[in-house]
Parts: sequence; structure tokens; C-alpha cells
Amino acid sequence: MAEGLRVQGLSVSYGPALIVHEVDLEVGAGATVSVVGPNGAGKTTVLRALSGLVLWEKSSSRQAGVQLVGEVWFGQERVDHLPAHQIASRGLILCPERRRPFREMTVEENLQAGAYLVRSRKVAQQRMAEVCRLFPVLRERGRQRAGTLSGGEQQMLAIGRALMGGPKLLMIDEPSTGLAPLVKQPLFARIREIKTLGIGILLVEQDAELALSMADSGYVLSQGRVVAQGSPAELLADEVVRRSYLGL
Amino acid sequence: MFRLRILGRYLHSEILVLPARVLALVFIAALLVLPLFSGDSYLLMVLILTAIFTMYAVSWDLLAGYAGQISLGHALFFGVGAYTAALLNTKLGLSPAFGIPLGAVTAMTSGLLVGVPCLRLRRHYLALATLAFPLMLTGIVFAFPEFTGGELGIYAITRLAATRVVEYYIAIGTMLLVVALLWKLTTSRVGLIFHAIREDEVVVRALGIDTIRYKLLAFMVSGLVAGLSGALYAHFLRTAGPSNLDLFMSFHPVIWTIFGGAATIYGPVTGVFLLFPALEYLRAVPEYRMLIFALLILLVLRLLPGGLAPWIRDRLEKQCPNCRMNNAFVRSTCRACRSQLTP
Ligand SMILES: Nc1ncnc2c1ncn2[C@@H]1O[C@H](COP(=O)(O)OP(=O)(O)O)[C@@H](O)[C@H]1O
Ligand SMILES: [Mg+2]
Repeated sequence: MAEGLRVQGLSVSYGPALIVHEVDLEVGAGATVSVVGPNGAGKTTVLRALSGLVLWEKSSSRQAGVQLVGEVWFGQERVDHLPAHQIASRGLILCPERRRPFREMTVEENLQAGAYLVRSRKVAQQRMAEVCRLFPVLRERGRQRAGTLSGGEQQMLAIGRALMGGPKLLMIDEPSTGLAPLVKQPLFARIREIKTLGIGILLVEQDAELALSMADSGYVLSQGRVVAQGSPAELLADEVVRRSYLGL
Repeated sequence: MFRLRILGRYLHSEILVLPARVLALVFIAALLVLPLFSGDSYLLMVLILTAIFTMYAVSWDLLAGYAGQISLGHALFFGVGAYTAALLNTKLGLSPAFGIPLGAVTAMTSGLLVGVPCLRLRRHYLALATLAFPLMLTGIVFAFPEFTGGELGIYAITRLAATRVVEYYIAIGTMLLVVALLWKLTTSRVGLIFHAIREDEVVVRALGIDTIRYKLLAFMVSGLVAGLSGALYAHFLRTAGPSNLDLFMSFHPVIWTIFGGAATIYGPVTGVFLLFPALEYLRAVPEYRMLIFALLILLVLRLLPGGLAPWIRDRLEKQCPNCRMNNAFVRSTCRACRSQLTP
């Protein structure tokens, strides 16, 4: 079932540029936590660090001078030194920014690729049924190439693909970006539903009001630092936070 | 009798419904019965070489087409297979039956050795790095001429088999088996993961898949098959030499595969079976041979960017707009869901 996440003093820098600075963050087991903040605040970098992708970048020397410090605990285990695929196998799974579906594959194949962590065929089929119940359009479009889906459908596919791996805590990066309000609302209703399945959610968003409205607690990130945290109601009531960081 | 009826029903429901499958079946059958109708030794030789190079091209398609690990030094695996079989035969007296599989396994090991340093490289960096490997082996070959035959290569290797017809069946049989196995692999879960790695390796890792293991697997299987073709080549032509390692040898599978249609397996098969005999028979007009050949390739690449075989397949089959099942182009209703097919 759900596991809690605890992040202590997480810092990420690329060469001289300090992107994330001593971030502390906690997601209780099964809770929904939103991280909001302006563009370039470092939100994506935090999620990439948590899912082991920053470490991968560092070890595969794709990028010079990557520094990563801090502790990440998932449940009872420290995971910040694990490779990305092992972090995912612990149940801490990322739905990446810009959705990134496998465009030349069919919708069904995308979901199958997401089910890699599932050993039993029966469980995989159950998950597939569950995901298609949540997003019926994915069943309708099962044999369609993912690249031909609309933006909203691609986002559902990306979330569905991450769900196939059986996350205990699902990290979703900016699901609403580029979507029309009419598409946003039903999408977030579905994300709320994921919450009721007993899966924890760490939701990163630019649309602060929408993201905070469904969270148990929230963090405001700016220039790589946590500048405010608390209950969604507190954050949305704070005039300084609203004006300086959320652009509301 | 009962078995036959099952076979008949399978033929009817799975093969005869789709023109592309009928085409494949006719092609296989024609290859298998050809020696009964023609004893033309030159034709058999051309087809034996075609079969050998088909395996070579398909091995490139697996690594570069499916897994997206573009190798421009594929001749390394071909050459390792050829030299290993040749040396085992001439120095230790091993028969082709043992030397060829050992050549393939050695090439598989070289796939692993090449794969490890290449794991961190992407796209054109990877392509450039792989370019260097066959050159390095060529250097080694020239450095120890007493052992490797140097520039002249190794001669007087045992013949693949006693007669041309037996050689033909060995080459065609091995090719059909290898192509079938690789087809099976690419349509399996492993093939799906290869494809995913080609599209977005970072996402694949984030989904919990150890991409390193799969990339090394692609290098090894590809090396194994390319080495097998190289070893067969050496025993068929009874020689192995530095030309097995040269740039042409590395570029050929790239041309064949892209011409036929990459990441399809049947694409490189089509590519080799059209281009290799074409180049052979163009020897009749030696002065225009390369020009015609190059124009042919440019034309296909320009007009059919996805390759020839997928283009033909799209002409012969259409997808049902409702259930996305493939149907023969002559049908007006879908064979699965009976919905109307757009003409
Ligand atoms: N690989 C990288 N190398 C250098 N700088 C980076 C890299 N990735 C992100 N950045 C920088 O880090 C900052 C934060 O980026 P990001 O985490 O994507 O922010 P957000 O997701 O909040 O918009 C940006 O200024 C960006 O330019
Ligand atoms: Mg971002």
C-alpha cells in the first residue's frame, strides 16, 4: 500500500548554477501534496532528483558538473543512491513533464511498456482494466498511435502508463500545461480519483489554485527554495504568497 | 489428417487473409523449391550470398532500427565471425559445423565488449564511436600478418558443403530460421522495450526498466547474428580478409535496411533480396553499374521515406478505422468487426 516520502536538504546544481537549494519536503503515506511555483523555480528538477534521473544524468556523464546532495527516504528505505529503475520498482513512479508518450507505439503498447514492473499477467490485466475505467478514452484509442492523440489524451496516457507500474506514490509533473480549461477540469477530477485508490500523489503544477484545491498540503517553490508551505487554505489566503509567487 | 485440417484452418484464417502474409509464404516456398527447377550455379551463388547478407542486414535492423543504437561499424561483428571461423578452421582444423557457431558466439562477445563503452553514448556520438571499432580490428589484423594473413587474408578454408545445392539449403535454411527468430523477438515484450528505448530512454528508465541490460542484449544478439553471417560468408567464399572489415561492409546493412524499411525485420529482407542481386546482375553494364544502383536507392529514399516494404504493405492492406485490424485491400468490410472500410 501507500508509502510516505521524506526529503531532507535536497540540493541540485549544474556546474556553478544552483537549481535546487536545501529543499525539505514530506508526503505522508497516501497523501496528496502539491508543489507550486513560477516557471523555472526548480520543480521539475526536484522530481527528476527524486526519481533518480539526475543521478542517471550524472553517472552517464551526459551533463558536466552535476551535483546532488541530500537524503530521500521512501518508507523505511533511503533511495537517493538507487538507480532510476530501482526507485520506480520501489513504487515511487514519475509521470514526466511534457507527457512524453512513446509516439510511434499504440496506446495499448504504451500501457504495456508501463507494466514492465508487473510480474504476473493477471495483475497486469487488472491494472489495464483499472486504467481504462479511469480513462475510458484509452480503451477506445487502444490501437491508435500515441503520437496522434490530443494533448489531453496524451496526458491521460502518460498518467495511465505510470499507473500500470503500480505506484505507491505517483509524481505528476505539470499535467495541465498546454491544456484548455475545458480539458483541465475533467483531468483533475480523474487525478482526484487516483487519490481514492490509496495512491499517494506528489503533484507539481503552475496552475496553483487548481493544484492546491485538491491537495492535503502544499509547498511553494521559488528560485530553487521552499519559500512557503502549509495547508492549501493558508497558502491561498496569504497575500504575499499569492502576489509574489503564484501570480494570483 | 486431423493435424492437416488444423493446418488448413490456420492457413485460411491467419495467412490467406492478408496479402503481405501470402507474399511472405510464396517467397519462402519459392526459395525452398528453386533448386528443383534451376541448377544455374551462378543464380544459386547469388542467392546464397543474398541469404547470408540478409542475416547481416536484419542484425543491424535489430540493433539500430529497433533499439535505436545506430552502429556504423557493424562490419566488426561480421569480420569477427569470419576471422574466427577461418582461423579455427585453418589453424585447428575445426569443421564448419563447429567453427561457424563459435564464430557467431565470439562475435556476440565482441558485441558485449563494444556495447559496454558505448552505453553512455547517444545517437550520432554512438554512430561515430562504432565507426572506429572495425578500424581497430583491421589494425590488429595488419599488425600480426603471420597469424591473420595480413592484407591477403586467410585462404583455403574448408568449403561450406560438398555441393552448391547443399550450400544453398544451409544458407537459405539458416536465414529463414534467423529471420523467424528475430521476428519473434521483436514482436515480444523485449521488442517493445527495444522500441521504447529508441523513442525515449529516460522515460523507459523512469518506468522501472534497466535500459542498460536491454541495450547490451541488443548488442549481443545483433553481434551473434552478424557474426553468424560473417562465418557463413567465410566458409562459402573460402576466404576471410580485411575487406570483411572495411567501410563498405559497415555501410551495406545501413543502405539495405533503410531502403527496405527500418525497424520492421521484413524491410531489410526485402532490401537485400532486391539490392544485392540487382548489383550483381548490373555487372552486365559495368560502366553504369554504380550509377544506376545509386539512383535506384536515392529514388526510393526520396519518394518512400519509410522504406520500400512498409510502402508496399500499406498498398496491400488497409487498417479498419474502427478496430484498427489490418485487412486486405480488396475488402470493403472489416474481417473482424464488419464495419465499413474506407476505399
Ligand atoms: N540540465 C540542466 N542544466 C542546466 N540548467 C538546468 C538544467 N535543467 C534545468 N535547468 C535550469 O534549472 C532551472 C529550473 O528548471 P526546472 O526544474 O525545469 O523548473 P520548473 O520545472 O519549476 O519550471 C531553470 O532555470 C533551468 O534553466
Ligand atoms: Mg517544469
